[in-house]
Amino acid sequence: MSKEAPGFLDHLRHLPRNVWRSLFRNSLPSSDLGRSQTSFSNFFLHIHPVKTHVNSLRPTYTLGLGVIAFSLFIILAVTGGLLMFYYVPSVEQAHNRMLDLSGTVAFGVLLRNMHRWAAHGMVAVVILHMCRVFFTGSYKPPRELNWVLGVVLMLLTFFASFTGYLLPWDQLAFWAITVGTAIAGYAPGVGEQMRFLLLGDHVVGQEALIRFYVLHVAVLPAAMTVLVGIHFWRIRKDGGLSRPADADLPEAQTRFPAAAQGKLEGLAPAAKTQKTKTFGVLGLVRGPFTKVGNTPDNTVYSWPHLFVAELFCFALAVLVVLVAALLVNAPLEAPADPTHPPNPSKAPWYFLGLQEMVSYSAFWGGVGIPTLFVLGLLLLPYLDRSPKGVGVWFSRHRILANSLFVLFLLVNLVLIIVGTFFRGPNWSLVVPW
Amino acid sequence: MNPSQELSQDLPVDPTVSRRFVLTLTSLVALMGASGIASLSNFLFFKPRVTYGEPSRFRVGLPESYPLGTRLPLGDQRVTIIRNEAGMAAISNTCTHLGCVVATSEIGFDCPCHGSRFDAEGSVLGGPAPRPLPWFKLSLAPNGEVEVDTSTVVDPGTYLAV
Repeated sequence: MSKEAPGFLDHLRHLPRNVWRSLFRNSLPSSDLGRSQTSFSNFFLHIHPVKTHVNSLRPTYTLGLGVIAFSLFIILAVTGGLLMFYYVPSVEQAHNRMLDLSGTVAFGVLLRNMHRWAAHGMVAVVILHMCRVFFTGSYKPPRELNWVLGVVLMLLTFFASFTGYLLPWDQLAFWAITVGTAIAGYAPGVGEQMRFLLLGDHVVGQEALIRFYVLHVAVLPAAMTVLVGIHFWRIRKDGGLSRPADADLPEAQTRFPAAAQGKLEGLAPAAKTQKTKTFGVLGLVRGPFTKVGNTPDNTVYSWPHLFVAELFCFALAVLVVLVAALLVNAPLEAPADPTHPPNPSKAPWYFLGLQEMVSYSAFWGGVGIPTLFVLGLLLLPYLDRSPKGVGVWFSRHRILANSLFVLFLLVNLVLIIVGTFFRGPNWSLVVPW
Repeated sequence: MNPSQELSQDLPVDPTVSRRFVLTLTSLVALMGASGIASLSNFLFFKPRVTYGEPSRFRVGLPESYPLGTRLPLGDQRVTIIRNEAGMAAISNTCTHLGCVVATSEIGFDCPCHGSRFDAEGSVLGGPAPRPLPWFKLSLAPNGEVEVDTSTVVDPGTYLAV
């Protein structure tokens, strides 16, 4: 009987197990081979390397900011997708639909709150992520392009936030966009054309609302998804996260607790004592030829070390956004009234530095200086090419670059604080206490 | 004589230019031309010929409805109608700085967004506004009503005698 070919009933009996096995090819890994295969054969994990350098896993090195920014992007995509089911991009309906979220839709307010606070959080975390990359010198070759991609992604984050700002069609939205697009109009030569293309009209109205909506829900998220993919791919191609030049040496193990405690699973014993091992003449041509016993030292398996760290960052992002959304409601002002600007009219906090500069000179504050800032950030890795001080926070070799960047941050921070707290009616200086 | 022989007699043939090179070059030019046309058509697509906003010409009623000394801001049209001894005029209410609507103050206009201040004639008194508030052309419509044309700017101090 047992020798008989399995019949239909057997197939039926094994159906759950076979479906499960077609979904997950590996059982939970208990060996190094299994750990490799798990991260290698899973679509969602295979973007990661099989092994990760211990330095990349130090929470105090990365602060998890890149993963948190991406987590917030996912939260925004999910909550935004849900909100789209009720939102109508029409000047007659948009504001009412916002109000309806609180009255007629279960969890409507919660989702809107999550979307709003995750958006603010993403802007903040993306800026902090840039600071981390700068202060650890991680934009140095060969990571120039990834820094540039990061700057572009930050600008897209600002633009996504800016376009989303108009959608509730309340007073804040209307006037912030009126002011923001008027700034674009100051660009020499093409300014008025750009403003008209963005608004589809000479004033902020229905055409502007539908354009901003399409940019916010389709064009920008699609562009960001593609660029985030390239950003991640480049991390791998650039040799993983930046780390000190000597971080791959066996001697560096003592600096990493995981390594010091002998938790380097799968590291060939030879690698712990022997830096290089060459096989044949080819090994002399371009460094060690074979990977046997010559894997980059001080790495651990991504499963579970890297994935647990990433999961923690994601859970942390969800938790913070959820708590914020439960505690604080996203503001919604009176419906947009094109005849009565609120006094003072303020942009979102991350544009208040810009608005403060604009109050001195519209061209220099709104176009000239921001363009110089962006150009400076984009060109930075091609101008500062000294290989020193990569992979450590606040390296002594980078004291000039770091000081300049701190100055750049402080100028923006002061402008934002002045714009947020010290500006009252008619944009006059007020004391907030 | 077939055409190719005729061609070879007229044009000196450079043997270093291969057929493949010419085809590649023409393909490249065609591809770039097509890309250019595609970009241009997309650009034009985003520029509507007609907009749906406020019309640039509108009538504001008979001159008699504005007594001497009137300074009446019209919210939806974003102009202030002035009537004095010299006649009538329309001053823009859109701040020349960043497009907020200015509020009428005791001495002229105040912008609530970035604090630009203007006098009653629209000249800049202070703040970041780079230009005075423009004056718009007024004319009398056949039915006697005053018509404002916000697409035509006139010199400050140009009044329509009524």
